[in-house]
Amino acid sequence: MTEKQLSATEQLMEQEADSLARAAIGAPKQPRSSLGRRVRSTVSAYGFLLPAIALVITFFIIPGILLIILSFTNLSSANFTEPWEFIGFANFERLFTDPFFPKILRNTVFYVFTTLIFFNLGLALVLALVTTNIPRRRGFFFRLVWLLPRLTPSVVYILMWKRIGSADPFGIYNQFMPEVLGASGGNLFLGGAPWAFVILTNGFVGASFGMIIFTSALMSIPEDLITAAKVDGASTWRIIRDIKLPLIKWPLLFIATYQTLSLLTSFEYILLLTEGGPGLFTTEVWALTAYKRAFSSYFGNSQWAFGATWAIVLVAVALVMAVLYVKIFKFNELVEEPRIENL
Amino acid sequence: MGSGKTGRFFSYAFLTLSIVPILVGYTWLVIATVSTRTRGLLPINAEGGIGGLTLGNWSFVFESAIWSAMLNSLLIAVAMVIGVGIASTSGGYALSRFKFPGRKGFLTGTLVLHAFKAEMLLIAIFFVLRWLGEIPLIGPYIGFNSVGGVALVMVALELPLGIWLMKGFFDNISWDMERAAMIDGAGRFRVWWQIMLPQVRPGIAALALFTFIAGWNAYLVPFTFTIGTKVANMPVYLNQLISDTAPVNWNQVAAVGLFQMIPLIIFFIFTQELLLNIYAGGSKGT
Amino acid sequence: MRVELENLSKAWDGVVGADRITLDIADGEFVAFLGPSGCGKTTTLLMVAGIYKPSGGTIKFDGHVVNEVAPKDRGIGMVFQSYALYPHMTVFGNISYPLRIQKVNKTEIKERVQKVADMMGIGDLLDRKIVQLSGGQQQRVSLGRALVKEPQLLLFDEPLSNLDARLRLTMRGEIKRLQEEMGITAIYVTHDQVEAMTMADRIAVMSGGVLQAYDVPTDLYEHPKTQFVAGFVGNPPMNFFDVEIVAMDGEFRAKSGSIDLALPRDRAEKAAAAGKDKLIMGVRPEDIYLVDDAEPAAPGRTLTAAIEVVEPLGREDLLGVTVNDVEMRVLVDKTKGAAVGDNVDLVFDMSSVQFFDPETEQSVLWT
Ligand SMILES: Nc1ncnc2c1ncn2[C@@H]1O[C@H](COP(=O)(O)OP(=O)(O)O)[C@@H](O)[C@H]1O
Ligand SMILES: [Mg+2]
Repeated sequence: MTEKQLSATEQLMEQEADSLARAAIGAPKQPRSSLGRRVRSTVSAYGFLLPAIALVITFFIIPGILLIILSFTNLSSANFTEPWEFIGFANFERLFTDPFFPKILRNTVFYVFTTLIFFNLGLALVLALVTTNIPRRRGFFFRLVWLLPRLTPSVVYILMWKRIGSADPFGIYNQFMPEVLGASGGNLFLGGAPWAFVILTNGFVGASFGMIIFTSALMSIPEDLITAAKVDGASTWRIIRDIKLPLIKWPLLFIATYQTLSLLTSFEYILLLTEGGPGLFTTEVWALTAYKRAFSSYFGNSQWAFGATWAIVLVAVALVMAVLYVKIFKFNELVEEPRIENL
Repeated sequence: MGSGKTGRFFSYAFLTLSIVPILVGYTWLVIATVSTRTRGLLPINAEGGIGGLTLGNWSFVFESAIWSAMLNSLLIAVAMVIGVGIASTSGGYALSRFKFPGRKGFLTGTLVLHAFKAEMLLIAIFFVLRWLGEIPLIGPYIGFNSVGGVALVMVALELPLGIWLMKGFFDNISWDMERAAMIDGAGRFRVWWQIMLPQVRPGIAALALFTFIAGWNAYLVPFTFTIGTKVANMPVYLNQLISDTAPVNWNQVAAVGLFQMIPLIIFFIFTQELLLNIYAGGSKGT
Repeated sequence: MRVELENLSKAWDGVVGADRITLDIADGEFVAFLGPSGCGKTTTLLMVAGIYKPSGGTIKFDGHVVNEVAPKDRGIGMVFQSYALYPHMTVFGNISYPLRIQKVNKTEIKERVQKVADMMGIGDLLDRKIVQLSGGQQQRVSLGRALVKEPQLLLFDEPLSNLDARLRLTMRGEIKRLQEEMGITAIYVTHDQVEAMTMADRIAVMSGGVLQAYDVPTDLYEHPKTQFVAGFVGNPPMNFFDVEIVAMDGEFRAKSGSIDLALPRDRAEKAAAAGKDKLIMGVRPEDIYLVDDAEPAAPGRTLTAAIEVVEPLGREDLLGVTVNDVEMRVLVDKTKGAAVGDNVDLVFDMSSVQFFDPETEQSVLWT
């Protein structure tokens, strides 16, 4: 660090320098009380956390509480000039008796687990195993291509998939695939195979996350271990099963947790691709319902309170799952204790 | 997979097949931007034959709307880099290196929020933004339907990931270095600023890159919290192009899409290692 | 500076780092903390430095309790095993850092840094980046950084462990010389007993967070107060066997199976006075000879042993032998052709034999 940079932070450090000057003169400074010091240490920790805390309170805590309050009102764009009217559990009753509630629930479970198992976890693992089993540069190249969907703006990304699945004469799939493989000439994402497209679009983005995490875990397995197994005559399959998989157990659990939560609560690609269609609720998942109730104008009315009700139930489910995961996988134990205790 | 020639063959066959949809998508995008119309992957001219290449789709670069959208995208992205950068480097340091009441809770909270897409909270954030908009003087810049408001929300949503990522980088710095600095006479703020931050520069670069991309690509938050074209960013502008005009000029849409990807393509070419390492770095300690 | 530790303890829920350490260090003294890895040396040192907060006990500098004084206000300098240099700064940047924080004026910083660097023999490397330095040079920078603020107490945490053997030898001498010349009190943590023995005025031997002994090096070697100290100080380590002390014909003998050795009267009487049926006897490998090495076979001091292992150490050979079932190590000048499987006669020099209580592991000779 240059002298110039040093002087830029001078003012903030005035106090420190002062106490040091005193120390340099001689006798140790008057000790602070133990309590005083602990308080100071806590205060400075929270000082560093201040920007984060301010944002978390404003955009997580307050909205979280607000979501709960909203779910007990009948607030909508039609009556938002009036004071909030509390209607008890009416929204929750309406939610659970909604004729489409079972369908939405089934859709959500199906969407989350299919995408998770086949793509975000399964394909991710296969990609990581295969790309680390071929020469380095080539593996790197394939992983890089797999990263593209994640870097592409969602609107552009979905645009590409729409063109792949469009009806004749625009659709790419219909142009190149023989009819035996299901090329009907019709629109696929809003007709023939909406779920396939919903899962593919999400899976192609989701898989790269696990792929990267697994790859870095696999690459950190000591080469000696693999060599030793090979010397023992283990086949590639045995090496994967007996050595690689057990050694990447934690990343696997982490991705399973992370992706379950993230699939459960995200809906952006579905919103852009099918908006929950075609028809009534065909590909509508819970998170999307919440969003649509609150922000799309069904019958020209944004039902904020009802949307909030859908959201809060999902948030509750997600939080319970998150806490369970944290407990079951003992993430807490992986947290290292600080090794400096004084200010 | 497997050893030997067949194993190799299947590996490459599988990998190549797996990236076909991605490659096809981008191929169409590029071809479409210079075609009058496309049928599948083929450019089509007025007579229905192959041909009809044109640069006409790119005429939008002469319209002011695209540049205002670009400016908004840039503002959101830069605000995110700065906001997430400050809050994560300071917060991540505190969580990594300080002992204080509530630390466990913060760590668990960060971990949970980092997986939990906060998009479910958008309904309530909508009201928070409207209230922020009532604040005298600064309200119009950070409230509903403002670029600042969108940026603030985006900063908050990316924060758990940022803190977790930076915490991982701070965790990897030797305790002895920090102890040495404290014995040399530095307080925690000075240690952070002069000793720790220079060590986590790769982490800061990774985080900056990641948040820039997230900000540049942001769709859902700006789409939800802005109305009209004045505050639209690029993805929102693009979506308006798709949904507001009929019939849709798909080739112009493709051109706008590719245009908005230019900075991403530059990152993609020049920061490959960093991109592939961002996520791996962020999961350290889990 | 005089340093006093009183019942200094540190525990993290369940894990004990240091357990009631009490010792005092005189002004200008060089004290080594010696013990196996994980015994709490670093923990104790970091409490002295102010990085860890004691869970109990006090630390006094020149009679003032400093428990609550921040590290930067303690007037200490510290050298770490990992060097802990700031890689983004030059050598000059590193050494001058403490002074820059103190806002010493620039010309004085230059002078003092140059002086310290010259003293460390790195005066011409000041503009180098840290990564361009060898391990030995890095350790000198780290030492320079600790010395530049003219501390009253120097703390070393295994500073030479990452260096190769030759460099370690020279650095050992240099650190000792600097410390003596400058007259700074020093605490030196090491797990290497040779380092401790050669450098320290006094050695604090630790194990399991407990201070086992605190003495001048020769006393630790000749009058170990616990079996742990006896086994830890000295290389190769002392041999231990269970024996009974038997008085016969006005002579004391140590017996166990086929072992039967005559004991010098002074030690034997003290051992017998402990009133134990069984004692642990300790004999150092260097106090056992091959018969024709030394004197002719002496009655009552000779045992027949089978050679199991021969480890040539250069000047000497280290033998692993068994006397019936009892294994022991013997350091001899040269085996003179003795090979694995041979039976040889060993002579025991019993004048420095040690005895320990098997239950308390305390010496019955020295308290
Ligand atoms: N910050 C800490 N938190 C928990 N346990 C610790 C910490 N520092 C040291 N220990 C434990 O205290 C014991 C002594 O460690 P240490 O003082 O580092 O040993 P040494 O330096 O003698 O090798 C070890 O069991 C170690 O695991
Ligand atoms: Mg240690």
